[in-house]
Amino acid sequence: MKTTKIKIAVILLVVMTIGFSFTAIEKVTVKGSDTMVILSQKWAEVYMQKHPEATIQVTGGGSGVGLAALINGSTDIANSSRPIKSSELDKLKQRYNTLGVEIPCAKDGISIYINKANGVSELTLKQIGQIFSGQIKNWKEVGGVDASIKLYGRESSSGTFVYFKDNVVKTDYSPSCQTLPGTAAIVNAVKKDKFGIGYGGAAYAEGVKDCKVKKDDKSPAYAPTAETIKNKTYPISRYLYMYLKSRPTGQTKAFIDWILSPEGQNIIATVGYFPVK
Amino acid sequence: MKKITLAFLLLGAFMAKAQEVQKDTIIQSLKESIDEHSMKFSGLDERLSTMDSDLAKLTKIKVSGYIQAQYDVYDTWGAAGHGISVASTTPPTLVTNSFFLRRARIKFAYEAAEGVKFVLQPDFSFDKVSLKDAYVVLNDRWTKTFSLFLGQFDRPNYELEYSSGSIETLERTRAAGILYPGEKELGAKLEANFETKYHLPLKLQLAVVNGNFNLGAIGNQLRDIDNNKDVIVRAVYSLKLPSSGLGIDFGGHGYLGSTQILSQTTPVTVFSDVNSVNFTPGVGDKLDKKWYGAEVQVYYDFLGGAALKGEYISGTISGTTNAVQNNSNFNFNRVRDFRSFYATFIKNIGVKNQFIARYDVWDPNRKISGNQVANAGDLKYSTWSISWQYFFDDNIKINFGYILPTNEKSSIAGVGTDFVNRDKKDNTFTIRLQAKF
Repeated sequence: MKTTKIKIAVILLVVMTIGFSFTAIEKVTVKGSDTMVILSQKWAEVYMQKHPEATIQVTGGGSGVGLAALINGSTDIANSSRPIKSSELDKLKQRYNTLGVEIPCAKDGISIYINKANGVSELTLKQIGQIFSGQIKNWKEVGGVDASIKLYGRESSSGTFVYFKDNVVKTDYSPSCQTLPGTAAIVNAVKKDKFGIGYGGAAYAEGVKDCKVKKDDKSPAYAPTAETIKNKTYPISRYLYMYLKSRPTGQTKAFIDWILSPEGQNIIATVGYFPVK
Repeated sequence: MKKITLAFLLLGAFMAKAQEVQKDTIIQSLKESIDEHSMKFSGLDERLSTMDSDLAKLTKIKVSGYIQAQYDVYDTWGAAGHGISVASTTPPTLVTNSFFLRRARIKFAYEAAEGVKFVLQPDFSFDKVSLKDAYVVLNDRWTKTFSLFLGQFDRPNYELEYSSGSIETLERTRAAGILYPGEKELGAKLEANFETKYHLPLKLQLAVVNGNFNLGAIGNQLRDIDNNKDVIVRAVYSLKLPSSGLGIDFGGHGYLGSTQILSQTTPVTVFSDVNSVNFTPGVGDKLDKKWYGAEVQVYYDFLGGAALKGEYISGTISGTTNAVQNNSNFNFNRVRDFRSFYATFIKNIGVKNQFIARYDVWDPNRKISGNQVANAGDLKYSTWSISWQYFFDDNIKINFGYILPTNEKSSIAGVGTDFVNRDKKDNTFTIRLQAKF
């Protein structure tokens, strides 16, 4: 009798596991990196045109917001312009007992935006770090006019904020750095401010000047172009990622497979980023 | 006619002049208005900067917490069965079910500056507030590898560091409660995490602690009661095989400590050694409290995620009934070679459900078994814990769980009426609602 009950319980468990795991998801939600919003929306738009039965909903908010949504189960895909942190991975492990799935889906260069009227046109990585950490405060210290540098940056939930901090600033941002909600707002602020400087995705640099970046004093300066980002000569290049809780199935899998296909990858260049394949 | 023309010209000139004066007045007025608004904007800007600065300080404070409220049903078969009773009545009134508030905790973390963090976690219960975590963490800014903890923190052990708010089973294992009473310790802990800087998924921990946390009267836990410090070491390596959807964390830990005899009674208190032979320790003698453990956690992305977690600990534990330093979960005058292990299986079912089964064993005296066991403290326990968790949302989860402890049977009367040739009836069914923020 006892064995029969255990058998029934085990069978029930197996059936429920398989049943719940293959539950069809009609709508795929994508949330996260603001840098990736335009690209992601474009992917969703083209994919839905080709697959009218699919519904892909894309929102931004920042990489941290997307990854938090992935952990709390409110999104299927998290877009992130930085690799997942070990603390976020631990939370995924705790909640879903998986290591998550990381999909590098595009390449991007972080542009240093400068106002077109600014005489400075190239900086070393070290100088950029010192500018954003507040150690260099005046344009004349980097070959410009005698004027205070105005800093524009992202909120801490942004993947670009984290990537730029970890790889360029390497310490805390200057308290005078004005945080703005999105890369477009940074570009807009720099466009209006003759002595402003900001950072963000290469795709957004409209109406501002892309500052050339030198790895160090002796290296040549490179602008963020398709070629320099692809061949990694532009020093601030990175991957853009999609993260999932577990290996995708159904509509989510079909969407991701399409993104990684030549058709999906071809769309990347049209919005200013670079394919991974 | 000339007069009329002159009058019109004069009127026109006057009107033109009047319009000019009016224009000047409007421009002047606009200028004043712009100046006034500019000043207002400057004032607002200044206020906004102050508020921004205040807000930036506030965002450095992180508050989290959780409440676990539950309804328990206790196994009542057999009058001498379970341990839940109202002791003040004669005979004790057996309580068969009860509402119970297991946890009410709030955790405050404040990142004062880059690399400096304060953590404070009080635990609230009906009659008191006690301190669970209170420590300062200093993270090295340069290599991003080392962290130094000072204060009261979790002992380095996988099960203990896994928060009660996240743990899948209703309770931790029996061994965790006996070996690490109260989970925390007072001391210093150095952690090295080589993942961030060197991309080496290795974590090392070294803690030097008083070794008397949750032992004896609370007043005696504020400081060390002897001059001996206990040392805990742990190493964990994380292996990731993303193409297979597999992650394996494995490692080991060691506890090197002692129980010092602080006083003797008259007549003298006799202790029992690892071979159950009596001996009389003198004041100042140190009894062994040393063990080593191996741990593994396997995560597999199979139909939504599954995990198998296990730990094996073996060594020597010592205890004393001296009220200054007694362990309420090992309240004996003895030294014992013990062994413990557990295996936990967790399966995520869809996004909202989770099935959990754990088997844990605590053998306080691995040198004897069955009818050789002459007292309850040497009985081995095997416990099944089965749970089903439903995640209502990110903040709320419900755990339906059943715990079935099974003790070793002995025919010797010394083990007590609850245990002579039988398994003490102490199973518990629980419905727990947890709200976390």
